[in-house]
Amino acid sequence: MTYGLSNFVKHGRAVGLGLLTAAAIAVSAAAAEYPDKDIKMIIPFGAGGGSDTLARTIAGVIEEMKLIPVKILPENRTGGSGAVGYSAVAKEKGDPYHLATVSVSFFTTPLLGGSPVSYKDFTPLAAIAQSPYIMVVPTSSEYQKLDDLKKTPRFTTGTTGVVSDAALLAKMTSNALGIQIDSVPFDGEGEVMGALLGGHVNVGFLNPSEAMAQMKAGKLRPLAITSAERSPAFPDIPTFKELGYGEILHTQLRGLVMPADVPPEVVTYWEGVLQKVATSEQWKKQYIDRFHDIPDYVDAKGFKEVLERTNARYETMMKELGIIK
Amino acid sequence: MEPLALLWDGILAATDPAIFACTILGAVIGLLIGALPGLGPTAGVAIMLPVAAGFGGVAAIACLGGVYYGSMFGGAITSILLGIPGDAPSVMTVIDGYPMAQKGEAGRALGTSVFASFVGGFLGIAGLVALSVPVSRYALAFGPTEMTAMMCFALSLLSVLGGRNAFKGFTALALGLWLGMVGLDPISGLPRYTGGSMNLFDGLDFSIIAVGLFGLTAIFTSLEVNVDKPVAKYTFASLLPRVSDAVQTRWQLLQGSVVGFFVGVLPGVGASAATMISYALAKRLSPTPEKYGTGIVEGVAAPEAANNSASYGSMIPLFTLGIPGSATTAVMMGGLIMVGLQPGPLLFTENPEFVWSVFGSFAIGNLALVFLTLLLTPLLAAALFVPTAYLYPIVIAVIVYGVFAIDASTFNVTLTILAGGAGIILARLDYPAVPLILGLVLGPLLERNIRRTLIQSQGDLLVFVERPIALGLFIATVFVLLIPLFLKLTGRKKIAADEAEV
Repeated sequence: MTYGLSNFVKHGRAVGLGLLTAAAIAVSAAAAEYPDKDIKMIIPFGAGGGSDTLARTIAGVIEEMKLIPVKILPENRTGGSGAVGYSAVAKEKGDPYHLATVSVSFFTTPLLGGSPVSYKDFTPLAAIAQSPYIMVVPTSSEYQKLDDLKKTPRFTTGTTGVVSDAALLAKMTSNALGIQIDSVPFDGEGEVMGALLGGHVNVGFLNPSEAMAQMKAGKLRPLAITSAERSPAFPDIPTFKELGYGEILHTQLRGLVMPADVPPEVVTYWEGVLQKVATSEQWKKQYIDRFHDIPDYVDAKGFKEVLERTNARYETMMKELGIIK
Repeated sequence: MEPLALLWDGILAATDPAIFACTILGAVIGLLIGALPGLGPTAGVAIMLPVAAGFGGVAAIACLGGVYYGSMFGGAITSILLGIPGDAPSVMTVIDGYPMAQKGEAGRALGTSVFASFVGGFLGIAGLVALSVPVSRYALAFGPTEMTAMMCFALSLLSVLGGRNAFKGFTALALGLWLGMVGLDPISGLPRYTGGSMNLFDGLDFSIIAVGLFGLTAIFTSLEVNVDKPVAKYTFASLLPRVSDAVQTRWQLLQGSVVGFFVGVLPGVGASAATMISYALAKRLSPTPEKYGTGIVEGVAAPEAANNSASYGSMIPLFTLGIPGSATTAVMMGGLIMVGLQPGPLLFTENPEFVWSVFGSFAIGNLALVFLTLLLTPLLAAALFVPTAYLYPIVIAVIVYGVFAIDASTFNVTLTILAGGAGIILARLDYPAVPLILGLVLGPLLERNIRRTLIQSQGDLLVFVERPIALGLFIATVFVLLIPLFLKLTGRKKIAADEAEV
């Protein structure tokens, strides 16, 4: 029965692939008409998570503002730490009717050898926001400002999974301040927060939306933010750069990618669409204000550079940790 | 009594027709998803999330909550009738529920599970309403060190579930622990036992293995014996629940509710572990432990009360602290954000009406589910009148669909079938399946927390006895392990009842 089922799927995919390739050729022949059919947005993670919310919000705003003449159809394709969904997109080489958002696993799963595709198999379109990280300590802790940490030689922080932005930032902060921050991997953001509030780890590198609620309630004290400039949502939190640690600069770009080799006019088309999204009131209300990200538009070229830099950072860290050779 | 007044206002607010309709919709969907083997509460809440978010506000969260606790009611149905766990937290219900159905007491077993779910839900809601603040502080006190001790304590209690032969029981446990290691190493990030297959990177989903190991194995074995197994002599009375069972199992109901609540509240532990501890405790405390596993109502009551109560316990960190302690509550947190709320410590103070209305909807949903499921009980139990030649093909189709629907992956379907095959081999060799499942659920929790603790302490083992909660739990563990030995040496009765079939 399994054999029959998987055979059916393979067969179905092959037909789909053929059709899509044909469509892709048709599109490049008459790019002016792009897009002329609905676009699939593959979400490599489950419903309700960060990636899912981001993808669905972008799709929702584009539809609400009627920026494209066709529909965007979000679809969750989970499994393999993102590998299943991302490979499904990358497989449609040259086809401008598949979209995906970028996440940490976008880089880390391929680096681990867990995915047949990597960031090189995608065309970056544009980014429409950046999400910084906020370094926090519990309010009960004795550390009032970043430099106070230098009084103590060793700390622990919680991270979601082994290779994460929090782990990366712990390493960067350790090097910059001359202290040691060891990362303790947990299974979810909730567990990390629990460990931080319960005093089982000492410092945290949190998303703005996670940090906001706890800071407002007076449970956590911010020390610094990892963006180049202060975030409009947190005007009182100094950047690492201001505090003299310019090398600690790392944000997550919220952007869209397509499979490799889509025609350049498609990239230009999406840059236009996403620029409108980035500056829209709807995007601000439905995403920026809700998740306290920094509004920012980055074009395809700039986004590509960031993707390459992020990948290099993860690669270095994983080599240092001995995870990869 | 202020919480009671607030809850009453919340219940009144939740009787608003739109909210009420969404609550019932969620509860019914949850019931179906819970009953569908493979799909569990996490998948159910995630599936409903985009739909529910459209309802907005209280209705959205009432609906998602309904899916969550509804699935706890529903999970028992297939566990009892067919021996196939409807979802992960109802695995333990199979142990006594299925033998009851085979004895012709399906109605009683289903009825008991409904009573237990209701009592567990009722006490869970009471705890959520009255104790959420102190209990959330207790949850935060459990760091990796305490969790390690807790898991040791749980395993010591569970040693009673090893089956007749201790050696085979421990072998099955070891097999489960090993299977729990498949996937990316949670601490170092390296793939373990994946054979390079990216399908195995996320590890083995416990509910997929359980469906195969219990459900398919039961079907395969019975087919082997006799395809046209004569349907047992069921009478109409056997389809009906018995109220007297609720009275008879009152202590198991109470125990299950309390254990479920306090285990469920711990971040990362979840309802499945709660049902295991509750079942083991019921067996430990029973004067006749040898009856557990033969099909008694007590064995259904304890885990079913625990899983419902745990679902409310796990919502406490979400509502009071903004911390999702389980995969299901993480999806619910996504729902809170989608309806424009900021989950966090201020949720209660900034949006009290919202929170109390949601809690009110829980109370309504819990009660509504009792009527729904009691009405359905005779109908469901009648499924056993269907000859296996018709029933099993349908059931297999439903299993394949349910497992496929988790991730839309044929790999999972293959895995379930493999687990079913492995189950036959284990059964033939008389290795119990339950310890394997325990290892698969608790092993990863134990391993992760030991390793987290050792990162924190830089390899110093003394931390395990320096922290008071951990020390207390370790002492309790030693006691649990030594009592049977002590009783045996002094010639008194055997407590561990390892002779009982599990």
